[in-house]
Amino acid sequence: MTDAAPVLAARGVSKSFFGNPVLRDVSIALLPGRVHALLGENGAGKSTLINILSGALPADGGSVEIDGRAAARITPPEARQAGIAVVQQELSLTASLSIAENIGLGDYPRRFGMIDYRALADRAKSVCALVGLDEALSTPVGTLPLGRRQMVEIAKALYRKPRALILDEPTSSLSATETAILTALLVRLRAEGVAILYISHRLNEVMALCQHVTVLKDGGVTADRPLAGTDADGLVRLMVGRDPGDLFPRWQRSPSASDVVSVNGFSAGLARDIDLDIRTGEVLGIGGLVGQGQEDLLLGIYGAIPAKATTASVNGAPALPSSPPKANALGLAYVPADRKREGLHLIHSIATNLLLPAFARLPALTLRHRSAERETVRELAARFAIKGDPARQAQALSGGNQQKVALAKWMPHDPLVLLLNDPTRGVDVETKREIYIMLRQFAAAGKAVVLLSSDTPELVHVCDRVAVMREGRLVAMLDHGELSEEAIVAAAVGAERRRQAA
Amino acid sequence: MSAAGSVMPRVSAILRSRPFLTVAVVAAVWIVAGVTMRGFGAFGHLRYLVELAAVIGLVAAGQTFVVVAGGIDLSVAAIVTVSAVALPLLSLPGDPTGMSAVLATLALSTAIGLANGLGVAFLRVHPMIMTLAMATFLQGLLILIAGGTAISLDNPLVTWLGNARPAGIPVGILLWLAISAAVLVVMHATAFGARIFALGANPLAAALSGVPVNATTIAVYGISGFTAGLAGVLVLGMNGQGYVGIGDPYLLASIAAVVLGGTSILGGLGTYAGTMPGALLLVTITALITVVNASPGWRSILFGSLILGLLLLSGRESARR
Repeated sequence: MTDAAPVLAARGVSKSFFGNPVLRDVSIALLPGRVHALLGENGAGKSTLINILSGALPADGGSVEIDGRAAARITPPEARQAGIAVVQQELSLTASLSIAENIGLGDYPRRFGMIDYRALADRAKSVCALVGLDEALSTPVGTLPLGRRQMVEIAKALYRKPRALILDEPTSSLSATETAILTALLVRLRAEGVAILYISHRLNEVMALCQHVTVLKDGGVTADRPLAGTDADGLVRLMVGRDPGDLFPRWQRSPSASDVVSVNGFSAGLARDIDLDIRTGEVLGIGGLVGQGQEDLLLGIYGAIPAKATTASVNGAPALPSSPPKANALGLAYVPADRKREGLHLIHSIATNLLLPAFARLPALTLRHRSAERETVRELAARFAIKGDPARQAQALSGGNQQKVALAKWMPHDPLVLLLNDPTRGVDVETKREIYIMLRQFAAAGKAVVLLSSDTPELVHVCDRVAVMREGRLVAMLDHGELSEEAIVAAAVGAERRRQAA
Repeated sequence: MSAAGSVMPRVSAILRSRPFLTVAVVAAVWIVAGVTMRGFGAFGHLRYLVELAAVIGLVAAGQTFVVVAGGIDLSVAAIVTVSAVALPLLSLPGDPTGMSAVLATLALSTAIGLANGLGVAFLRVHPMIMTLAMATFLQGLLILIAGGTAISLDNPLVTWLGNARPAGIPVGILLWLAISAAVLVVMHATAFGARIFALGANPLAAALSGVPVNATTIAVYGISGFTAGLAGVLVLGMNGQGYVGIGDPYLLASIAAVVLGGTSILGGLGTYAGTMPGALLLVTITALITVVNASPGWRSILFGSLILGLLLLSGRESARR
């Protein structure tokens, strides 16, 4: 098994986006008849590596080998030709087309120049049987639940009879039954000699299914070894454990904490059945893998999406705010993750952006005072060190400065509760540090700061408490004393449950 | 030195602004046409053009609000007609001034606009569909009520509005100027004005910044209904009778005036200060085409082509995002 030539391999591959290195000298080899696990935190470079292996992205350096033949880059058609199939995390299906049409898309059997629907149905039916899809083949994919769509995506990959199969978090939306079917299928494909790359955050699946593991961290390989003899805790340690350096300000407990927001039985969007207290004078972290309902928790508390709770108390009010203006009136402020789409008005001036929450709250026909506005803008720009002429469009600013504008615009209202959705994503190190210091200052000034973050180290070093969410539920609440990257990641992937069972 | 330094960029910004450019185009056309065409430059003729522009300008005032807020109102022509047909029917015998009928008509047209806004805000119907459906609904209603007959006006206030000329200036023009001043103040000097720009530029970011999105949306369509109703009252006064189809020219005209004035059809950028010369430019083009003495079919083709040509010359939007 070990001496077989790799079907697909990357040798010393590097890639950077806009000057940020995402992959550094990464090598990985997919052998036939082996399930290879690829692990890493959010943003470790897993998706980029997959895209390079499947030809969707060219590498900056290094080479990709198919059956031992090296090439600086391969194109997606070449990859398909060589039998490489990818099951993407973000589904690539067309909602209005049927199951069969989606499965065969791009590789329809032809007869007299037309699509041979009978042959398509036959071939689609055989792969659907493999993954346990028993819906009618003519069902539009858009009408299927997410888990079934994921199975269509897998069937689509199998339709091409792959020799190398890459699965990017295939089980994140699957039920237990579907996961079992997929596991059995992968075991069979492995026996047939298919090379499989399996990406998952569920360590128990990885331990059960895979033989070899590669761990990525900050774009570099930290482990590449057989899985035998490794335990879940060992894997978690490999995924985290970087040197935090002096990026973070020294943590100090702020004096006096009292509850300002309390919810029981809170549900909104993906978030379900959450009991949570947000206290003044502290930074409360919200962690977990991406998309476990963290964002819906913040948006629900902010009144931006429909939410319900058995009991709720928000700054003295006995119910959740029903809209952002009402949340603002209760002293809540929200800074979105997607600055360009949700946070800023890119075509408007920096000054207009900074003043918008004020305009939103004033009685409609209040006359504007230009000189007072200019003074406010000047103060905010100075306090947050926002660079550039305030009359320029916000889209001219760098990511870090845009983030500062999105945060600064709330300051004239002196919000009591700041809900921050991943405020340091895509922000340079210097601005990150400035933001951390500001967050601690807010807490010291008696405000409540909620920091939703995909960056585990910042949760550990900036927060007083961290709530970890998994599959919409709040699965752990860690106090500052028990905070560590290992503890957060373990709670996020459900490793602590295994430990208790063991 | 420093004062001059801060004034010069401002002056050049004004010179390069779309409202100023549109004014310059109107002035150039008037001068050239005034010199080359007999009668065009006469005071009476120019005054007549401005009076016609006042009607378009009123309809386009509401349209500017809606477009800046990121929507579009395709029901303005139908609301103009509703206003011009309903007013004679709403006249009460006990009111010698005719004021009550005018107020009732304006309330009706504002209510129609608010209904548009409710549909867009709460039913989440696309503005084009909502206002087009409203226009179709109103047209049906008008045919049932008025049929093919013209309804004569018997209202002293409206007759005065359409015909009086204190100090030689038609009341319609004075009305337009007064409404324009109010529109410019609301749009550029109030919190509500800032909200509609934010709503048009990025509705999601506006909502998350605490802008009351639904209330703002309903308000802009209500304003559009009001100004279209006011235009209907004015056009009824100028015409002496209302009939089905009297408002038809004002749909394309209102949108064209907004866009010619430099307001982004995508919302979030623009000013009524551009719409005003945009309306003047439209009536000027119409007047020039009339002089050409072509058949109505050719006039319409020429008018459409000229609007397209002008927009290609000046109004194409640079790509966003």
